[in-house]
Amino acid sequence: MTSSPPAFSVQVDRVTVSYPNGTVALRDATFSLAGGSICALVGVNGSGKSTLFKTIMGIVVPAAGTVRVGDRPVREALKRNLVAYVPQAEEVDWSFPVSVWDVVLMGRYGHMNFLRLPRAEDRRIAEESLARVGMLEFRDRQIGELSGGQRKRVFLARAIAQQGRVILLDEPFTGVDVNTELAIIQLLRELRDAGCLLLVSTHNLGSVPEFCDHVVLVNRTVLAAGPIAEVFTEENLQRAFGGVLRHFRFDESTVQKHDGRAVTLLTDDERPLVFGKGGHVEYRQREGREDVVQKRAEGEEDV
Amino acid sequence: MLETLLTPLQYEYMLKAILVSGVIGGVCAFLSCFITLKGWSLMGDALSHSVVPGVAIAYYFGWPFAAGAFATGLLAAAGMGFVKLKTRLREDAVIGVVFTAFFALGLFLISLFPSQVDLRSIIFGNILGISNADIAQVLAISAVTLLVLGVKWRDLLLFCFDPAQARALGLNTTVLHVTLLTLLSATAVAALQTVGALLVVAMFVTPGATAYLLTDRFGRMIGLAVAMGTGTSLAGAYASYFFDGSTGGCIVTLQTLVFVVALVLAPKHGLRASRARRIAAREEART
Repeated sequence: MTSSPPAFSVQVDRVTVSYPNGTVALRDATFSLAGGSICALVGVNGSGKSTLFKTIMGIVVPAAGTVRVGDRPVREALKRNLVAYVPQAEEVDWSFPVSVWDVVLMGRYGHMNFLRLPRAEDRRIAEESLARVGMLEFRDRQIGELSGGQRKRVFLARAIAQQGRVILLDEPFTGVDVNTELAIIQLLRELRDAGCLLLVSTHNLGSVPEFCDHVVLVNRTVLAAGPIAEVFTEENLQRAFGGVLRHFRFDESTVQKHDGRAVTLLTDDERPLVFGKGGHVEYRQREGREDVVQKRAEGEEDV
Repeated sequence: MLETLLTPLQYEYMLKAILVSGVIGGVCAFLSCFITLKGWSLMGDALSHSVVPGVAIAYYFGWPFAAGAFATGLLAAAGMGFVKLKTRLREDAVIGVVFTAFFALGLFLISLFPSQVDLRSIIFGNILGISNADIAQVLAISAVTLLVLGVKWRDLLLFCFDPAQARALGLNTTVLHVTLLTLLSATAVAALQTVGALLVVAMFVTPGATAYLLTDRFGRMIGLAVAMGTGTSLAGAYASYFFDGSTGGCIVTLQTLVFVVALVLAPKHGLRASRARRIAAREEART
């Protein structure tokens, strides 16, 4: 790091968003984030995650409250190419006749002239960005010919090419294999260390503490926001998810050796599949599984 | 034989009809690439019907037809946008209600003043009888459309592909949206002269759809669509002399034939190609 990047922030202050049909998507939401961090945006579907993204991108204008990016109103921040966006896989028309190269160059539009003719500089940056995500050899492929992970990387390259300071990622890990997920997380860390603010909308609760340092919990408003250690607690998650969260409490399960202390597993989309120490499937409820418990108990005594 | 083939070109009205059709066909084809990718085919159909009352009013008062048509076209587009934004109705229902309302109003107005306005020429087109003033309007619309598309196609492409990214880059997507709608209305007016209100939608969809089957690159898609649109329009207008039939019908039938050929033979997205892939997959599974 030769020069430390200037302090950079996203401030959402008492924002209320309502849609033309009258539904209030977000009420009185407040949080503030500073550059050089990866922040998870966590909440159930319809909790206002994407609405928050849309307000930061200027797609919806809040009915009340203000959003400031880099201490500027959203409009100005967008004009300065401060905000980059990596869309959810379902939002992209993958049969669209554009190549990987076309997509990455789109990230440079804001830096180009009126006619959007790429200069040598734009090409160089686009090439570097593609190389950085390891997709340079695929530059002439039509985007639909790529795998799920490769698609994500191309759009990440577009965000990098744009050189935004705030990067919004909408569900970046759905439909992505584990290796790509690790590669993406590594890239996000590099961008964070370069001073970017990464805002990641995800329902992959398990991975949040692994790579995020901040979290914003939303459910029609901002329930809590701050460093992971303080905010990402079981209690707050229960508040954010209500009864929607799948709960796997080990003290009631067929997992052996209960000592009064409980391990809890939370997940919000699918019921987790839990394997015991012996590699066998565990069940959530002991009741009705007495034979299994019996067998496990015998097995453990043998050891 | 050659003499027979050259006969249509000896008549000034035929020559005009062929050339004007070619220009309109090319411009519509250029625009059709955006329309098909944006999923606005139904919108194109709606706008081409919504210009009818405008044409009727303009003819009645002796105004340039383009002005009236353009006005009601945009009014219809705005109406659809408004109803969709303010209600829970799905887009297809909104479009259906609004454009039939405009079209009905047009038919009603025409029936009120049958002597001033010719219903047939609006609904089915009358390129053989096109006046020089109308040609001037058509050429002006085409020139402006080509200019706007030529300068702004990259922005419009991004708007069709990923409007959220367009917003994030600070592009004004509302302006792009309105630009595309305006171009659509304007060219609908021009195309109305050639193929008539009923068939305009074909000019807006078929060339783009055909080119989309043939390529995975946007640049090539534009090239193919424009070549196809211009070629079929020139040939269709020319051929209509021999069949002594409807010019619009001739052009659109030709376009459909080209589409069917592409549908079957397209190297990657055609029926034959996908059948070959299915068979190959089956063979592979067997061995």
